[in-house]
Amino acid sequence: MSDLNKLYKETILEHNRNPRNYGKPETWTHEAEGLNAVCGDLVHVYLTIEAGLLKQINYAGESCAISMASASMMTEFSQGMTVSQWQHHFDLFKQLMDKSGQVDSFPELGPVNTLATVKKFPSRIKSATLCWYALAAAINGEATATTE
Amino acid sequence: MLREQFPGLQVKVHGKPLVYLDNAATAQRPQVVLDAINNYYLYNNANIHRGVHSLSESATELYEQARESLAKLINAPSAKDLVFVRGCTEGVNLVAQTFVRNRVKAGDEILISHLEHHSNIVPWQILCEQTGAILKVIPMNDQGELVLDDLDQLLNEKTKFMSVVHVSNALGTINPVKTMIQAAHDKGVPVLVDGAQAMPHIKVDVQDLDCDFYTVSGHKMYGPTGSGVLYGKAEHLNAMPPYHGGGEMISKVTFESSIYNAVPAKFEAGTPNIAGGIGLGAAAEFMLSVGLDKIAQRDQALRVYAEQALLKVPGLRLIGTAQNKSPVFSFVIEGIHAHDIGTIIDHHGVAIRTGHHCTMPIFQYFGLAGSCRASFAFYNTEKEADVLVESLLKAKAMFE
Repeated sequence: MSDLNKLYKETILEHNRNPRNYGKPETWTHEAEGLNAVCGDLVHVYLTIEAGLLKQINYAGESCAISMASASMMTEFSQGMTVSQWQHHFDLFKQLMDKSGQVDSFPELGPVNTLATVKKFPSRIKSATLCWYALAAAINGEATATTE
Repeated sequence: MLREQFPGLQVKVHGKPLVYLDNAATAQRPQVVLDAINNYYLYNNANIHRGVHSLSESATELYEQARESLAKLINAPSAKDLVFVRGCTEGVNLVAQTFVRNRVKAGDEILISHLEHHSNIVPWQILCEQTGAILKVIPMNDQGELVLDDLDQLLNEKTKFMSVVHVSNALGTINPVKTMIQAAHDKGVPVLVDGAQAMPHIKVDVQDLDCDFYTVSGHKMYGPTGSGVLYGKAEHLNAMPPYHGGGEMISKVTFESSIYNAVPAKFEAGTPNIAGGIGLGAAAEFMLSVGLDKIAQRDQALRVYAEQALLKVPGLRLIGTAQNKSPVFSFVIEGIHAHDIGTIIDHHGVAIRTGHHCTMPIFQYFGLAGSCRASFAFYNTEKEADVLVESLLKAKAMFE
């Protein structure tokens, strides 16, 4: 199976058909908008932090399948972590998605490792990472993020 | 065979023959253009309009011959009416700042259209910020055609300039610019036509159009990137102040003042893109040798064929269905984002553009963030249109 098929069939489409935590929640404590204006990806992240934990993460937006699947995966993966745990995983994720990086998998990242295949399509890395930077912005109290 | 003269079309992508359908972003270049560039760097490399040595003279001659070729291509009265620029963007900015800026005051109006590329919107917004002038827009209909019913009202006593695109880069619409120029001139309004997407496809005759300015981008018409020309009526160019100050654009400099050179040198400060200009001249000669009528005919045949082929893809919606259009197809496919389509069909060797194509207002009109855009050139084939359609069907199958 080609990288392309693998990426879409095994990872992206499953989350596209069954998006986790999609839609604007009724309440939240933090939010940020991830926007790649040039390519048109837009993802809005809503976050509730309670007692230092990422209790609930939702996302909404209009983007390509890679961006939406990454957001779906991120919310499922990150919920329940402490802020500092998440920062650690975000650092690993950045290394995972670094196109000049050598690492294609971190045990700590579990199912998120499948996104490393996106590195085979360098112009799409920014789609896969947008929601993560948006969540980081929300945690840091920043209104917007971009990966362009 | 014309196609074989384009080395860039012979490459493979992901092991598949390249199907290059991103010509509206930039075209491929024929061998004669590459040879002209090499010929300058290898055998005539010197600065122009300066030295008395042989190389400088031959380089200058090549550069000025290129200007002559471009004048012939667009039927300008004289090569002196052509200013070498980096592309249409620079041409529009030059006209905004040196021709229009002195003519407008707060409350005056500049008229553009809904079909403009950002490069024919933003320079006017900058001008409006500088002067207090107001930007007005000729509206568009659901087919992506300009609605000209109210053009006479839009062209009023406050209108000081009109700048319109000849062919839309996003939708392919060919605008009736000759009629529009006539309407503007009836009200005493000078007109710039952005010809970036027209020159590669249709015969452009600036005298027949009677436009005041016309811009051409080299890389869209099979020439080098960073090259282009601005045509202006001589009476305008002669009266305009320089755009950039520097060498070449002066005839005398003292610390007290400078005397500017004659047109077009007045607008060509500094050492220009010599190789680019020479390559662009070769592209003009190439187009003339193929024949502008033949190119236009081939484009229309491709447009008809590709449109029918694309409409066979279930769920595909064409954005922009103007009666008169070039072979540029913007489309969306239900349930699949444009970027995903672009990535998937790239794996079948098919290169298209995805996104808003630097025309955000057009996509705001259609309520879309962007589209896929397949843009053909005369060297594309019906078979390539079929490969595009097959690859789109495969992308759809992947999402099912």
